[in-house]
Amino acid sequence: MTATTERTTAGISALTGRRPLGNRIYGWLRSIPTWFLWILVIVWTVPTFSLFVNSFRTRDSQRASGFWNALSDGDFPTLDNYREVLFPDVGAGLGNALLNSVAIAVVATIIPIAIAAFAAYAFAWIDFKGREWLFIATVALLAVPTQVALIPLLSAYSNGVALTLPIVDRTIQLFPDLDLSGQIPSVWLTHTGFALPFAIFLLHNYIAGLPKDLFESAALDGADHFKVFWRLVLPLSVPVLAAFAIFQFLWTWNDYLIALTMIGGNREALPATIVVASLAGEFGAREHLLTAGAFVITIMPLVVFFALQRFFVRGITAGSVKG
Amino acid sequence: MNRLTVTVLGIVAAVGGSGIVFVGINKLFDLTESRYAQFNGIVGGLVSAGLFGLLWGNRIIESPEIATLIAIAIGGATGYALGVLEAPDRRLVAGAGGGVALGLLAGLFAQDSVMPSIDPVATVVGVVIGAGLGLAVWAVAGRGDNMVPRLLAGTAFGWLFGAWLAADFDGSRAEVIIAAVVLGGLVGAVVGTRRHPNQVERAQIAVASRKFIFLTPALVFVSAALVIPLMRTIWLGFLTGNPRDLRWTGLTNYTELFSDAGIIDFSGFGDIFTSRMFWGAILLIVAGVFVGRFVGRSLGTSFSLDAGSLSLLGGGATLFGFALFTTVRGTIANNLWWIFSVIIFAVSLGLAVAVLADRSKGENIAKSFIFLPMAISFVGAGVIWRLIYVARPPGDPQTGVFNTLWVEIGKASNSGTAQIVISIILGLIILPLLYLAWRGWQAGSNPLMAGSLLVSALLGYLIYRFVGPGIGGFKTSEVTGEIIADPVLFIQTGPWNNFWMMLVFIWIYTGFAMVIFSAAIKAVSEDLLEAARIDGATESQTFWRVTVPQIFPTIGVVTTTLIVTVLKVFDIPKVMTNGNFDTQVLANEMWERAFTQLNFGLGSAVAVVLFIGVLPVMYLNIRRMQKERLG
Repeated sequence: MTATTERTTAGISALTGRRPLGNRIYGWLRSIPTWFLWILVIVWTVPTFSLFVNSFRTRDSQRASGFWNALSDGDFPTLDNYREVLFPDVGAGLGNALLNSVAIAVVATIIPIAIAAFAAYAFAWIDFKGREWLFIATVALLAVPTQVALIPLLSAYSNGVALTLPIVDRTIQLFPDLDLSGQIPSVWLTHTGFALPFAIFLLHNYIAGLPKDLFESAALDGADHFKVFWRLVLPLSVPVLAAFAIFQFLWTWNDYLIALTMIGGNREALPATIVVASLAGEFGAREHLLTAGAFVITIMPLVVFFALQRFFVRGITAGSVKG
Repeated sequence: MNRLTVTVLGIVAAVGGSGIVFVGINKLFDLTESRYAQFNGIVGGLVSAGLFGLLWGNRIIESPEIATLIAIAIGGATGYALGVLEAPDRRLVAGAGGGVALGLLAGLFAQDSVMPSIDPVATVVGVVIGAGLGLAVWAVAGRGDNMVPRLLAGTAFGWLFGAWLAADFDGSRAEVIIAAVVLGGLVGAVVGTRRHPNQVERAQIAVASRKFIFLTPALVFVSAALVIPLMRTIWLGFLTGNPRDLRWTGLTNYTELFSDAGIIDFSGFGDIFTSRMFWGAILLIVAGVFVGRFVGRSLGTSFSLDAGSLSLLGGGATLFGFALFTTVRGTIANNLWWIFSVIIFAVSLGLAVAVLADRSKGENIAKSFIFLPMAISFVGAGVIWRLIYVARPPGDPQTGVFNTLWVEIGKASNSGTAQIVISIILGLIILPLLYLAWRGWQAGSNPLMAGSLLVSALLGYLIYRFVGPGIGGFKTSEVTGEIIADPVLFIQTGPWNNFWMMLVFIWIYTGFAMVIFSAAIKAVSEDLLEAARIDGATESQTFWRVTVPQIFPTIGVVTTTLIVTVLKVFDIPKVMTNGNFDTQVLANEMWERAFTQLNFGLGSAVAVVLFIGVLPVMYLNIRRMQKERLG
């Protein structure tokens, strides 16, 4: 759009052979929308940048002036906040929490991908009765808010699942009381269940679009579904698997609600988001650590984002545009 | 270091274990064609292990480890025998024998507390009813050659009810052995009556099993994590009491919820008529309708929805929504306000950025930076924006960006020199804008003219405020009469603190909308755009009449996605205010009721309200998929 505008103004001046002041101002003003874009870009970046700068400032400097004064601080930049927030003997112990975050995010990314890939393959290439309806029902669950499942899931993790038979009134324990609440596996299981509708939707869109000939010739060669899945579908689906992996990794890394509900008070198993949020809840003495803490939990997503942005964008747009 | 090892081991165990299970089951079913007996043996062993595991978990058997190991051996041997034997009578004997052996095992290891005192009447009644049911199923299913297995299965079911579940558990060892052996024998006999599959059927088993193998993990997780908990939550919404002792209470939770002024409060609604936003909204909407009609008539249609009329109508709708949600208060009103603001701002800003960046210089850089907040957690974003909103006491220097600007503007509007300088600068901006408006008028470009005039009018108002009553964060001290700084308590002052939190969400999700719109705009057919240009359409006409209709479905997709996401917003209010200062939202309300107050009934009721909120979106999604897939 802007390019065309430039072309038109250039055309006018080329025709007249000179560039009257009015036209110059006019062309200049017509590019206001472009200025607007770049102003928006700056406005959008300032918050993250201010966090970054403030995380290297001492408590006193943070309280005394805004981040734009950082260069006039005597002791800028300082790593004290990071030192204090990461190690348990001095401060918040965010280091251990980061390990928990890794443990949660890695497993809660890989397992849903695997399970969703099997299911997406079955929905796309194995014929069976009621396939379309089952698929629609599964994907429709995408919109269900997590809140509706939290109470029953938490009580299943802490007390197991028991079924009381009607009429005879006997209780049978179906899922043992493994005392999972407060432990990381409960978060894995929950994330896996919640991620599947979207994962199946995303992977199915891609896997169903693979060329049909491929499967026919594989079947002629005598390959069964498992071999086709393993040797053909998985290698060909790497782009979409990567897209979902990044999406899910960021989602689980950034998650707060599920970890808070399922892990709750077990300090040993808390992920980093909860530690930072509880620092934020203190409103006082350690508030200066908040900047470093927030930046530590943000740096991982930012690195993933800049390194793999293409895949991430694909994960988000897939299905939304065509669908 | 130790923790690191534990973490890595945990990850490897979880991922590796799941992988081994899946590959193992596939390999197992590969055996059906070549080694049917082995396949059958392994399945027999696994089924026995599962069965005795259930007994183990329910503390029904003593020394469960040994019992389970023996059971696996018996089950494996029985399965193997059934995989080899072909004659029907031998199969029946093998099946029933295996069942009897497993029953005997369970009876011998049964704990004292589960020994039923067999009640003959209940048992006979159970068996008769069970057998009758089995026959009925056979009759309904078409009276094939499977009468015997159906009859046996029905009898086993009846026995289970009559001899076990209806009995009191104060019987003897002999009784528990009889009860278990008969049950085992009957179930084993059912298995034994199955025909030995021939080569073709075995191959069919191998193929037909795959859909189950591939789908079961997903369906199990989805049902266990979403479907069953959802139903249980709906049920819990009708109960009350502490988690250990829940009683039926009907709709009490819902009536309590909706009669709570904290949830929805219409008492301030009358104030809307004295609010300037409301009358501003009316004015803008009337102007929008007028402009749309006027431009539309000049184009020969009844109404023209273009930049001019749409920005007026949109601005009016926004003001109206804000007027409404600042007068009607409560948790549900807050949630609706969230949805309203986020959709309006994220969609319009996202669309604007996508259009402006499209094919412009530095497109990817601009888009990256707008998109960047999408990667940041809500918790991180909450902390980031708390820094932006922070308010220091009036005497101290402000450290938050917003309050610094606000207080500096206040200072400027109280200083004579600054007033003059700023007025001159603003005036110098207005002049070219007026020139632009004139050019727009000449070129017949209404949006250009309207936009320039609107911005000029706003800047003119700004000059008036600067020179006249003053603008910005200042007040006159009551004690000394001095002019002092007056920062805004963005987070604490309601109801606008809600909007400042929505801004965080908008900051994050504008990038989301932009990315999707950007992809949609790039998918608009170049030929169509070219055709429009050849027909003499201006850039803005091409956009409004070609691009916008093409990406309209995408606007719908973005809107529904945002509704679902915003409705369950939790982290931002939790981190920034924890629902205080009049900023409660449904998700946080649910969490507090359920997990802080341990009121599962009321918490579930709030969750059900959330669920009802997404039902329309679910319906739309299902309809869309039906159209695509079922034609």
